[in-house]
Amino acid sequence: MTEFTGATDPEAEELTGAFWAAARRRELVRPVCGDCGRSFFTPQLACPGCLSENWTYRTSSGRGTVYSATVVRKPPSPGFEVPFRLGVVDLEEGWSMLANLVGGPDERLPGIDAPVELTWIERDGRVLPAFTEVV
Amino acid sequence: MAPRTLSDIAIVGVGVTAQEKRSARNSLQVALDAAKLALADAGLRHTDVDGIAARWPGPGGTLLDPGSADWSTLLGVPVGWIGDSYPQGIPALVDAAGAILTGQATTVLITGGQAGVLGGGRVASYTQPGNEFVAPFGAFTAAHFALVAQRHLARYPHARRGAAEIAATIRNTGSANPDAIMHGRGPFTAEDVLGATPVVDPFTLLDLCLASEGGAAIVVTTLERARDLPRPPVVLLGAGMEWLRQQYVDPPRYEQVWSIGARAAATAFGQAGIGPSDVDVAQLYDVNSLEVARQFEALGFCGPGEGTDFASATGIGPDGKLPTCTDGGLLSFSHIGWGAPTLKIAESVRQLRGEAGDRQIAGAEVAVAAGAGSGAQYYNLALLGRAR
Repeated sequence: MTEFTGATDPEAEELTGAFWAAARRRELVRPVCGDCGRSFFTPQLACPGCLSENWTYRTSSGRGTVYSATVVRKPPSPGFEVPFRLGVVDLEEGWSMLANLVGGPDERLPGIDAPVELTWIERDGRVLPAFTEVV
Repeated sequence: MAPRTLSDIAIVGVGVTAQEKRSARNSLQVALDAAKLALADAGLRHTDVDGIAARWPGPGGTLLDPGSADWSTLLGVPVGWIGDSYPQGIPALVDAAGAILTGQATTVLITGGQAGVLGGGRVASYTQPGNEFVAPFGAFTAAHFALVAQRHLARYPHARRGAAEIAATIRNTGSANPDAIMHGRGPFTAEDVLGATPVVDPFTLLDLCLASEGGAAIVVTTLERARDLPRPPVVLLGAGMEWLRQQYVDPPRYEQVWSIGARAAATAFGQAGIGPSDVDVAQLYDVNSLEVARQFEALGFCGPGEGTDFASATGIGPDGKLPTCTDGGLLSFSHIGWGAPTLKIAESVRQLRGEAGDRQIAGAEVAVAAGAGSGAQYYNLALLGRAR
């Protein structure tokens, strides 16, 4: 791959390049272990359940619930408009990720365990997964 | 006689440079300044050092990494041991004790800090991991702690106000310390904290620690050697460390991290043969208000969910039963990045020696010094005591 995908060095690129390539197609993927079946995130050399390197990226439904969420009110760096919502989402395949929470009813902060679904946003030319509260 | 146990290891020198919001010096300079202060405090010369735990912070250093062995060039001494994996605070102290107990060194200098690195950015750059699964979403250090806090407060809503009281108390302690960056600021009330500029829910600016510049160093040697040095020796009674996960990448899980430190505390108290009620001064790692309450729970000072009530009932100011962050802590004294954990040890030592001046806590014989926290997903603590 020649295009910048988000990873910052060649080793990370090898591990996570396919995640960002899928994101550009607006497809959310996560590592799934070929030996024990575990989904995990962030991508690692080996499955944290059984230490197998035999894992592949598989598509996620993008459906999940909010594990925790907060509102950022001070810009962490230029380019971020505040306030924005930040959360940890537990996906239904048994993995979780940090992402922004967007849209939803009254653009409110979803409560713990609120159901969410996948959407996509673009920031700094990068396509990023985000989640919206489902009513 | 060769040192045999933890309590044969003594801290004999501490050095803390002037702490500033922004320093005109660089990280290497403040680390060297702190080292000189600590050696002078110990009554030792740099040529007495035969073990060093430090980063080569640069600018002015080598680009080679790790480069802490270059400290031997800078100090002009050959050393028998170096520590550069986590050369600050409690992990460095434990490593130094191990080096001394295994005969690799007799006198270890631990130094560090940061200066000339904080720009005009809105959030200190070192608190923003460049990780590809963190940075694009706008996460930063305080946000990770906030995600933990949100789960806790959903369960214990009253802790919000209790946390604000903790922040106000520690900030008021710092306000009275002439060496604190926030000296003279305040007094603050819980209402002031709750009503301050919001940063990341639930935290306001006054709930959160500083990001400042300066250096801190300590000198560690054997108790036997310490007896011949000018200052009252402070010995290592026990220590414990927990490493759950790389900090600030995978988001913290409340159920895993709220109690982080419990196992480390059990190890440390077990080694020391004492319990939380024996602690006279608590130099907890106050990166934010609620995190102080969390540590009271995790370290066994009170039960789960009782941290803020414990603080309120016990009194954590200088006149309370458990004076906490007696220099004003990270909230008011200073937070110098990786060097900050060493500040916790330095303040513990000053209190235990009885040399803390106007902020001296009468009868301080046992101190706990801590580093990191729930959002960081690692934690460590040391129990220190006056040598008998």
